Formats: sequence, C-alpha cells, structure tokens
Amino acid sequence: MVVPLGAYLTVAAIVLVIGIFGIFINRKNVIVILMSVELILLAVNLNLVAFSAALQDLAGQVMAMFVLTVAAAEAAIGLAILVVYFRNRGSIEVEDVTLMKG
Amino acid sequence: MIAVIAFYVFAAILIGSAVMVVTSRNPVHSVLFLILGFFNAAGLFLLAGAEFLALILVIVYVGAVAVLFLFVVMMLDIDFTELREGFQKYAPVGLAVGALLFGELLFALGAWDFAPAAGGLRQTPMPDYGTNTAMLGHVIYTDYVLLFQVSGLVLLVAMIGAIVLTLRPRVDSRRQNIEAQISRTPAQTLSMVNAPLGAGVRAAEYHRREPAARVGEEDV
Amino acid sequence: MNWALALPEIVLALCGMAILLLGVLRRGDTTALCGWAVLAAFVLAAALVATGADGHAYHDMFIVDAFARFAKLLILTGAALACLLAMDWNRREGIARFEFPVLALFATVGMMLMVSASSFMSLYLGLELQSLSLYVMAAFARDDVRSSEAGLKYFVLGALASGLLLYGISLVYGFSGGLDFAGVAQAVASPELASPGFIVGVMFVVVGLAFKISAVPFHMWAPDVYQGAPTPVTAFFGTAPKVAAMALLLRVLGVPFVHVPWIPVVMLMSIGSMLLGSFGAIAQTNIKRLMAYSSIGHVGYALIGLAAGTVDGVRGVLIYLVTYVFMNIGSFAVIAAMRRRGRAVENIVDLAGLGRTDPGLALALAVFMFSMAGIPPLAGFFGKLYVFLAAVQRGQWTLAVIGVLTSVIGAVYYLRVIKVMYFDAPGEPFEARATATSVLVFGCALFTALFFLFPSAIVASADAAARSLF
Repeated sequence: MVVPLGAYLTVAAIVLVIGIFGIFINRKNVIVILMSVELILLAVNLNLVAFSAALQDLAGQVMAMFVLTVAAAEAAIGLAILVVYFRNRGSIEVEDVTLMKG
Repeated sequence: MIAVIAFYVFAAILIGSAVMVVTSRNPVHSVLFLILGFFNAAGLFLLAGAEFLALILVIVYVGAVAVLFLFVVMMLDIDFTELREGFQKYAPVGLAVGALLFGELLFALGAWDFAPAAGGLRQTPMPDYGTNTAMLGHVIYTDYVLLFQVSGLVLLVAMIGAIVLTLRPRVDSRRQNIEAQISRTPAQTLSMVNAPLGAGVRAAEYHRREPAARVGEEDV
Repeated sequence: MNWALALPEIVLALCGMAILLLGVLRRGDTTALCGWAVLAAFVLAAALVATGADGHAYHDMFIVDAFARFAKLLILTGAALACLLAMDWNRREGIARFEFPVLALFATVGMMLMVSASSFMSLYLGLELQSLSLYVMAAFARDDVRSSEAGLKYFVLGALASGLLLYGISLVYGFSGGLDFAGVAQAVASPELASPGFIVGVMFVVVGLAFKISAVPFHMWAPDVYQGAPTPVTAFFGTAPKVAAMALLLRVLGVPFVHVPWIPVVMLMSIGSMLLGSFGAIAQTNIKRLMAYSSIGHVGYALIGLAAGTVDGVRGVLIYLVTYVFMNIGSFAVIAAMRRRGRAVENIVDLAGLGRTDPGLALALAVFMFSMAGIPPLAGFFGKLYVFLAAVQRGQWTLAVIGVLTSVIGAVYYLRVIKVMYFDAPGEPFEARATATSVLVFGCALFTALFFLFPSAIVASADAAARSLF
C-alpha cells in the first residue's frame, strides 16, 4: 500500500462523521437517513480494507465482503418497510409521532 | 507517485459527494452523489489492493442498491420540500456533534499503534500467490463456509421480508391460466353454425359460444 | 473441522427452508401447518442443542460450551412460546401468513449463532440475521400504521446501531490485529496494551450492543416499538433477542475485552436503565408501553450482574433471564387475551374489574406483576436476589442499593395494575381466548409461582454455564 494507513483511516472517519451528521440533520427524510446509513457502512468497509492491507491479513477483506452483502439486504428491507409506511401514512416523515406519544 | 495523487483525488471526491448526499435538496441528486461516492470508494479499495471488493462494490452498490434507492425515490410521491423543514434547525447541533466526534476519532486514531502481538494473530494471513480474487475464493468456501452460508440466509430473509411486506395480489388483474389454454380442444371452442341464407349468424348463437372461447382467462 | 458442532443451527435453517417451500408450494391455507412445523423444528433443535458436544469449529469462529448451550435453550424456549402466542393472535387480527413463523425461525438461527460466536465476524452475521428478521416482524401488520411506524423506527435506529457496532469492530480489528475473541484478548492482555483506538472501538461495540438490549442511553426505540408492533412480536422482542444480546454482551465483555476496564460503563448503563425503567413507567396508560419501560428496568437489573464481572454475577444474569422470559411471555399472553368485540384493547384501564369478570386471568397477571416487582417467593425475586448478591460480594453497594430502591418504585406501577384489576368497577368482559393462550398464561404463571420449589436445577446449570465463560 503506497498511501499510509493513517490517510485511509482519516477518510473513513470523515465519511463516518458525515453519515452520522446526515442522520442528525435529515430527521424527517427517511430516504436520506437510509443513504446516510450506507455511508456509515462504506466507512466501515474502508477501514476494514485498509487494515487488511496493513496487517497483510485477508480476514478484513472477507469481513468487508460480508458487510457489503448484509448492507444490500438491509437496504432492501429498509426500503420495503418505508414503502409500507408510505402506503399507510402518505408521507415518510418519521418524526411526527402523533399516534404514539412519549 | 501517481497512486498517491489518485488516492487524494478519490478521497476528495468521495468526501465531497458524501457531503452532497446528506445536504442535497433533491433526493434524486443524493442518490446520484451516492453512486459517485461509491465509485470513488471503489478506487480507494483498488489502491489498497482489494480488487475483488472494489468491483463488487461497483456491481452491488451502483448496480443494485443505488438503483433500488432511485426506484423508491421516484415511486413514492413525496413532497420533499416539506421534509426539509427541520434542516436549518438541526444543522448547527449536527455540525457541533460531528466536529466533536471527528476530533475524538482523530485523537484516537492519531495515537495509532498496532498491539504488539498483532502480527501473530492473523486469522487468514495474506497468501503470496495468485490474485486477490483467487485468494478470497480459497478461503470463503473453506474457512468461512459457515458465514458464507449465513450471509445467504441473510439475503433469503431480505427476500422474504420484501415480499411479505410489499407484495399484494391485485384484485383487478386477469391472469393467464396457461394449463387451461393449451388443454382446450376444438370441441370446446368451435361450433358449426348453420347460417340460413341471408340471415347470417344470429347474435344469440354467438353469445352462447362465448364462455367456451374465453377458456383460460380467469377472473382473479 | 468438526462441522457437526453447528448441527442445531444447520438443521433449524434447513427446516426453515423446507417450511418456506411448503408454505409457498402447497395450495390452500398453510399458516397453521407452518406454525406447528416451526414449533416442531424448535423442539428438534433444542434436542440437538441439549445433546451436542462442546468445542470450537469453523476456523475458530464458532464455539459451543455450557454457556452457549444454556443461552440457546432459553432462546429456543422464548421463541417457541412467542410463536405459539402468535398463531391465534395473527388469525384474529387477520395478519396470519405462513412467513411469520418462518421469519421467527430465521431470527432464532441468527440468535443461536450470536451466542455461539467466537469471532466478531460470526457475531456480526448472527446479529444481522436476527435484526433483519425482527425489522420485518415489527412491521408485519402492514396495513396498521402503528406497526409500520414501529418497524421503520426500529429499522432506522437498529441500522445506525449496527453501523456503529461495525465501526467499533473495524477499529478493534485494526488495533488488535485479529477478529477472533481469544486472539483479541491475547493481543490486549493488559489495560496498558489497549491503545486509544482500541478503546474507542470497544466503546462503539458496547454502544451497538447496548442498543440491542435497549439499555439506557440507547433505549429510546423500545417504548414506540413495543407499543406499535403486534403483541406476539413484542413478546418475542422482549424474550429471545434480549437473551441473545445479553449473552453476547456477556461473552464479548468477558472474553475479548476482558482486560479493558469496562465495569464503570456497565455500572452507569445499569443505573440509568433502572432509574429510567421505574420512573418512565409511572405515567404510562398503555400496558404495552408500560412493559417496554419495565423491560428497560429489567435490563438494568440484569446488568448489575454483568457489572460484578464474576462467575456469580454471570450466573445471576442467566437466572434473571430465565425468570424474565417466563414472566414476560406470560404477561404478553394476558395482554393478547385482552380483546373486546373483535379488537385488541391495550390500556391499563381496560383491565378494570378483571378480578371479577375473569378471576383466573387476573390472578395470573397479578402473579406476573408481583414477580416483576420482585416480591418473594415468586421467580422474579430470585432473579433479583442472585444479581444483588453478586454485586454485594464485589462490594458494589451503590448498585445494590439503587437496585433495591428502584425495585420499590417499580412496585408502585405494578401494584397499580393489580389495583385496577381488583378494585375498579368491572367493564365489559373479554372475548373467549384460545386454548393456546390459556396454556401460555397459566403455564408461565405456574412456573413463576412455583420457581422456588425447583431453583436448584436451574441455578446449577446457570452456574456451570457461567463457569464455562471464565
């Protein structure tokens, strides 16, 4: 690896923080929240791949592959639930909790 | 040298498009920036020597996940301007939290150091033969077979879940019953009508015949 | 490689696929058939778990020991009871579909993998298999806006928690150099060896797992999801996944992170959960929401045992979980029996006068409420006793005292339910309930009430399980 590990970790940390920030500021827009979750998982994968290369250990890449698989499944389920919610409510706002208080 | 420049270009575009994903006004733009981000992340993977994952990232994410997002964004008729109401309100807090978290992470990662025993712990030391894909192929069906199968189950659950939540049998559709269609015989569908000279085939005759002619089209 | 160690999981997963095929291909209504088939598969898996051997397999990513076996049997019990409860409920609510038991089955496979995980990779996949099934189950009543809202909330927060957990795992991997539990423990064999990055990773992992057990401060999803999800799903959430996540937390903190000073963090989570559980529940009018706060409180009590960090502490947690599973399923069976005119009612005032209209049901609910409050000689008392004892032995008086105080406060809202049942004017009686529901209500009530007659067998096996972890 020509680039130092620290650079990879910093990029991953920035992407992670952007993902969390995205969840914070888009509290009403669930679709963007789902995309932010994908960004978080991308940060994780960057970390895993970088560590895998630095440690010369394939386990990190195998893990990253499983994370990719699960993330795809997660996106499918999340969007399915979102569609069901939209059918019932006619909106995708998750913040307006008129039905359940607390 | 070129690799270093490529790293910084990929990283900069990745971060820029990640910012656009979360701040863009239009979710369609968000999805497109997500795709751009994934492409650049794939570039970073390539630079780290993970070729297989880089291509999988492009195929699975750009090809499937992002398209799924795009599909849902366009399928649902959503008023997105309304959804941005809280944006200004939460942005300062979000920025503060993000900056704090990033500072902490930088502090923790800055003191970066492998544990002394790290070298000996490698579960799957990188073999020095073959391509990245071959190396992965050697381990995922042997050492990691259980997890490989479990990830198959995860995909199965996702499939069941998506179907069970969103599939609804339509009440107004007419389905084709192929079995009934190909097993019908001329005796059921054809009838010889002896039309009297000048009178033509009477309407009543035609209607009597009709249900048989429609065989194979079920009202569901 | 001894692949047969994972036989219960493999058999259960194959049964799940066979039942799925049965449901898809067979004409007519197969819901009941699939439900019973899933229950049979649970029984078969439990038999295989009980008779299986110990050891490591699959490249050291899978471990079977007394601890895993104990947790798996408890998970299978909880899952089977919740599925039994779901069969009648789903039919009455018009959401009976054969996919429901199949999803519960796959969630259970995931949980079994979680408690048998001895590597962060198998931990993650087990956890996700479980979580993805649970997201769908929460939204299963797809025409009910509250159910889909519960599913959406649970999904968003759960996905965030998984992401944080994963980021933690990636840091732990990078800074220790391994993904398997024993390797990580070996790499960080003393607190001085833990670099800041490793500690940050551990914190992220703990945050992710705390979310799954709904411990404070990551509890915010629980009340909404408990209230919105269909009742049997809520019963399921409160039992099997809690057991699995708690067992996972015990193993993760006990094996790879054993040398990291995590006890203060767990103590804070425990105190916060106990306080929030008891104060949050007081103002609730919806009984499912009440149960959610109660479950947050119970997690707090169970964490006392974890904070002790000793064999006795872990034993206390396991006993607590056993009593909790039965109390919880029993209470939710009573809630499922609360139906009037074809609709489920779930407010506490709807229980008014139950002592006169249905004395048996009222007595059973009273047993569960007294037990949750920790009144001797019911099962819940023993659960609390063992964790408090472990805390006192370690000299953690603060935890024990706060635990006792919050139990007293908690007793207030449990007693309020009993007061409503016995001293308020009766309302319209509930509909006749299904035999299965009655069996669950009275079976769990008997277990809870008579636990003091046979604690030794459970205590002994919990003790053996706890020892195998150290």
